[in-house]
Amino acid sequence: MEGLAIRASRPSIFCSLPGLGGDPQRRPPTDGFLRFPASSNAADNTKLVVNSSSFHPISAVNVSTQASLTADFPALSETNVKEERMNGEKKADNIVWHESSICRCDRQQLLQQKGCVIWITGLSGSGKSTVACALSKALFERGKLTYTLDGDNVRHGLNRDLTFKAEHRTENIRRIGEVAKLFADVGVICIASLISPYRRDRDECRSLLREGDFVEVFMDVPLSVCESRDPKGLYKLARAGKIKGFTGIDDPYEAPLNCEVVLKHTGDDVSSSPRQMAENIIFYLQNKGYLEG
Amino acid sequence: MSTNIFWQESPIGKTERQKLLNQKGCVVWITGLSGSGKSTLACSLSRELYTRGKLSYILDGDNLRHGLNKDLGFKAEDRVENIRRVGEVAKLFADAGLICIASLISPYRKDRDACREMMQGSSFIEVYMNMSLQLCEARDPKGLYKLARAGKIKGFTGIDDPYESPLNCEIELKEKEGECPSPVAMAEEVIAYLEDKGFLQNQ
Repeated sequence: MEGLAIRASRPSIFCSLPGLGGDPQRRPPTDGFLRFPASSNAADNTKLVVNSSSFHPISAVNVSTQASLTADFPALSETNVKEERMNGEKKADNIVWHESSICRCDRQQLLQQKGCVIWITGLSGSGKSTVACALSKALFERGKLTYTLDGDNVRHGLNRDLTFKAEHRTENIRRIGEVAKLFADVGVICIASLISPYRRDRDECRSLLREGDFVEVFMDVPLSVCESRDPKGLYKLARAGKIKGFTGIDDPYEAPLNCEVVLKHTGDDVSSSPRQMAENIIFYLQNKGYLEG
Repeated sequence: MSTNIFWQESPIGKTERQKLLNQKGCVVWITGLSGSGKSTLACSLSRELYTRGKLSYILDGDNLRHGLNKDLGFKAEDRVENIRRVGEVAKLFADAGLICIASLISPYRKDRDACREMMQGSSFIEVYMNMSLQLCEARDPKGLYKLARAGKIKGFTGIDDPYESPLNCEIELKEKEGECPSPVAMAEEVIAYLEDKGFLQNQ
């Protein structure tokens, strides 16, 4: 095969979609990508055997640095160039070229925002879902794409196999963290709204994401206020002993020590309206650059 | 199932998101043998969609196994659970308004049909990469067929584990006179289908 072209840095891609940051006069490049080999016939293509432990079907547990790279850039799983030695001799330059993949930056350019996870934590009845709702609405009004992962909604689908016992609660949060990470990679502002009472579990989710992409929002509302609201009647059931291990009653809530946003209950309807609380979060996001491409 | 769970309503739903994105959320489920070109097509499709200003995201079986599904192995029940979770995530993505491209061998009809069922009908587009075992093995992009033939991998689809081809998929891509169509040509075929069914616009 003629020439061992180094895989070029990804050519610039732009969107001609007006209203989403694109210029309608511009047209996307007709030829902005690495060329596929002239022949798609497998017999003509020389190929490189990718020797990555990340694709060994015996065990999915082996994770190499290459695996983490391929987790972020799926197309790279097919294009990693690695020298193969056979009988001590360097194998021929067998390369399968693939078109460059659309990456997170491209999507963020299209959406004119940066993906992140807004993790809203607090006692039952502290107003997490209410703020999530207000936040998604306020961001939508600004033309931003969000998606809300609510602990309850996810338990009807992805996590329907999980109960409320301790190890399942941890797994519930882990899975939501992983899904939120995927959404952030899409470029979506993912709002996760769940009690998530244990610091360790929340910190685990934080560690899945890049620095800054995990925005922890603490609904700092006293137990007495939450209980007086009791929107789902759960505190009543817990007090009557009909629910065991209910957070705040007979299971602890570990408040964040170092979260990005604290929404403290003041008792003042104006400053603690859901809309105002949403605006506080938006102010944070704007300052950190998440509301632009 | 616990009864301490309530549905949370939100004023921003799929309709609003689809309006913002000017597309309809759906799942393009690409199935086929290892080496049949699923990831390549996924890549090409996502790029072609991007040039049309459409937002898509690829869920790749291998990638998910490093994150969400890292607790799963390759024994039978884990494979089923792997696909179930991918299906549930794809459903969330479709609900978000994205064109979610799921690219995984998913060899058992029952598991793929369960995912289709999850989507409640309309938004599941099954794409079958109908490439011959011979072609896939000749490519062997990850060296897995070689390992499987040498007996170093057990239960490898196509060698000592079955692949159950779809009976009723929306799109079938196959070799034409022994030649595999280019990724762009195959992506265009999928896009033509999506366009025809109205997924590339909000109306």
